[in-house]
Amino acid sequence: MNAPLPGTRPQAANIPLQRARPEATGIRLEQVSKRFRGGVLAVDRVDLDVRPGEFVVLVGPSGCGKSTLLRMIAGLEAVSGGRIWLGDQDVTSRLPQERDVAMVFQSYALYPRMTVRRNLGFGLRMRHTGRPERNRRVAEVAEVLGLEHLLDRRPAALSGGQRQRVAMGRAIVREPKAFLMDEPLSNLDAKLRVSMRAQLSRLHQRLGTTTVYVTHDQVEAMTLGQRVAVLRDGVLQQCDTPQHLFRHPVNLFVAAFIGSPSMNFVAASVSGGAAHFADLRVPLPAGSSLATADRQVILGIRPTGFGVAESNGWPTLRAVPDVVEELGDERNLIIDINAPRVDTDATRAAVAARTADDALLLPEEKARFTVRVPGDHPVSIGEPLDLAVNPERLYFFDPETGQTLR
Amino acid sequence: MRHGRARFITGFLALPVVLYLYYVVAPFGQSVYFSFTSWRGFSDEKPFVGLDNYVRLFRDELVRKAFWHNVFFLVAVPVSTIALALFLAFLLNVGGQGNRAGIRGVRGSSVYKVIFFFPQLLSLVLVAILWQALYRGDDQGLINGLLMKLHVISRDEPLKFVSDPTPFLGVPAVLWWLLLIAIWGGTGFYMVLFSAAMQSIPRDIYEAALLDGASRVASFVRVTLPLLRDTVSVAWVYLGFIALDFYALVFVMTPSQGGPNHASEIFASQINFNAFNSGRYGYACALAVALTIFALLLAALQLRVIRRDRIEF
Repeated sequence: MNAPLPGTRPQAANIPLQRARPEATGIRLEQVSKRFRGGVLAVDRVDLDVRPGEFVVLVGPSGCGKSTLLRMIAGLEAVSGGRIWLGDQDVTSRLPQERDVAMVFQSYALYPRMTVRRNLGFGLRMRHTGRPERNRRVAEVAEVLGLEHLLDRRPAALSGGQRQRVAMGRAIVREPKAFLMDEPLSNLDAKLRVSMRAQLSRLHQRLGTTTVYVTHDQVEAMTLGQRVAVLRDGVLQQCDTPQHLFRHPVNLFVAAFIGSPSMNFVAASVSGGAAHFADLRVPLPAGSSLATADRQVILGIRPTGFGVAESNGWPTLRAVPDVVEELGDERNLIIDINAPRVDTDATRAAVAARTADDALLLPEEKARFTVRVPGDHPVSIGEPLDLAVNPERLYFFDPETGQTLR
Repeated sequence: MRHGRARFITGFLALPVVLYLYYVVAPFGQSVYFSFTSWRGFSDEKPFVGLDNYVRLFRDELVRKAFWHNVFFLVAVPVSTIALALFLAFLLNVGGQGNRAGIRGVRGSSVYKVIFFFPQLLSLVLVAILWQALYRGDDQGLINGLLMKLHVISRDEPLKFVSDPTPFLGVPAVLWWLLLIAIWGGTGFYMVLFSAAMQSIPRDIYEAALLDGASRVASFVRVTLPLLRDTVSVAWVYLGFIALDFYALVFVMTPSQGGPNHASEIFASQINFNAFNSGRYGYACALAVALTIFALLLAALQLRVIRRDRIEF
């Protein structure tokens, strides 16, 4: 997943390997909870083990407790229950300055009255690092991040991307035990965000410092994280590699949240070794535990789980595209399905986390699918076409609990 | 339309401008004119004496004394008030318990804010009466009475407070006691001013400093204080004007309005004394003009010293 992405700044690429950190420190959260004054439970008994040198992304809709969790690791928020370990040290009740972690804030939180040089060196100065060593490390980090020509400027004279790099540099220069990043890219425009994402990945490869990264953007989470932890209402839903998360979500929320466009859901029934919805019969994959079941389920299909009907034997669905979204190589079709719409808390939460506009697209009663087809396939609005459903790409969820049925 | 608008605006502005010219600007001009005369205030005769009043002013022992007393207040009032107000603002906003996560003020900080701000709500007369009761020189005085009861001081030798001309660090004790009142009365306001300025600094910056390993004191000195520079310099200007005035406190609190034995004489009390007690209006006007010029010079200096640059968070 750490393959270089397009748009990387050359100066980052040309720098030889910096300090690999064989002694990188892991972070362990044991049953960590946070209850704010007034009784709001922001984080509920989260267990998470970040391995030394690992890049873990905390992702979830806003208000899911991911930033609170990060702030608790930093020591900026008191822990209401549970323990936090940095390596083999219990830091639960330690002050932020005693934890030796560095944080990159969404707002960057640069010191406005200090030059870039002094911003970078502040942490070292506070830790009584000698001036020659301080200057050497600041120069080194400035070179890695391409900030050499900006060292004597104040933050107000920097662009958003430059400020972001200074904030990164301030974290790196101290060589802390861990980086904590709280949506560090969300104030950048889309193009710069992609390029900074790539830089972040490379930096992590070089430095090998344990990193916990918070974002609400699942694309950022999937592209950056070696593992991604999905949170909802303060509860950890699943922590896994991006691929595993995408292919094997443990519940409806994770399935709906991960992947863009979102997974399509429809109320269906399972009987006789096949799933039935919208007058369609789709045989269950071989070895499915539902083979002998006779029950109602929520069926999920990713937009990429469809193909254009060919002679591959997949069951086909005749559909009329309402909307065609051109993406160049691909197209997104939005089609109505003659089956009841799935409207659970989990899907609502996941969809609301994306954009409010998505929710508006959901019709009142009927299910509506997004289907991704190759760009070279002729499609036009209102023109019926046959879509083949890949039986191997079906997901089943319990309508009551939202848990995945395998 | 344009013409009509100009008339409309002129109509509204005319009366206030005329009143301002007549009641504010003209008297200023008149004062300057009187300062070149030996007018005694009650006669029609205003003999022109040129710069005599100004020459005399520089030779006048009492005026020189008053000037240095003003300079004392000019330094002591802003320095002590700002330092104390900053310290309190620091405690109330970021000085909370060190063994807990996050940044907060001391427990009950909002109550303290009200208490510290309270003197600002009292009129000067009330302040004076309050402090007269505190500074009273017999066993009925709040301070003297208590100390006498505790046998810290004897009944025959009470603390004299504002009637004590003995120099302390080269400055008459009475001025130090007056300074105390000024600090008491002014600190609350500036504490609230600094608190507001500190609260407008994004929390992230404090937190970044904490994570960078800065202690609360270090983060205050190196991060917060530089960000308060503009607010502090505004406070400095205000307090400077208060220090140059100071008339009311001296007038109400000290014996013979500047005593004892001119130990608390200030420029304003000299102006008052010369004009209304000695009937030397011309000379008093020269003193007032000199004070104005001094204040303007200070303001100009202040503006030069403060380099204004905008801060973006």
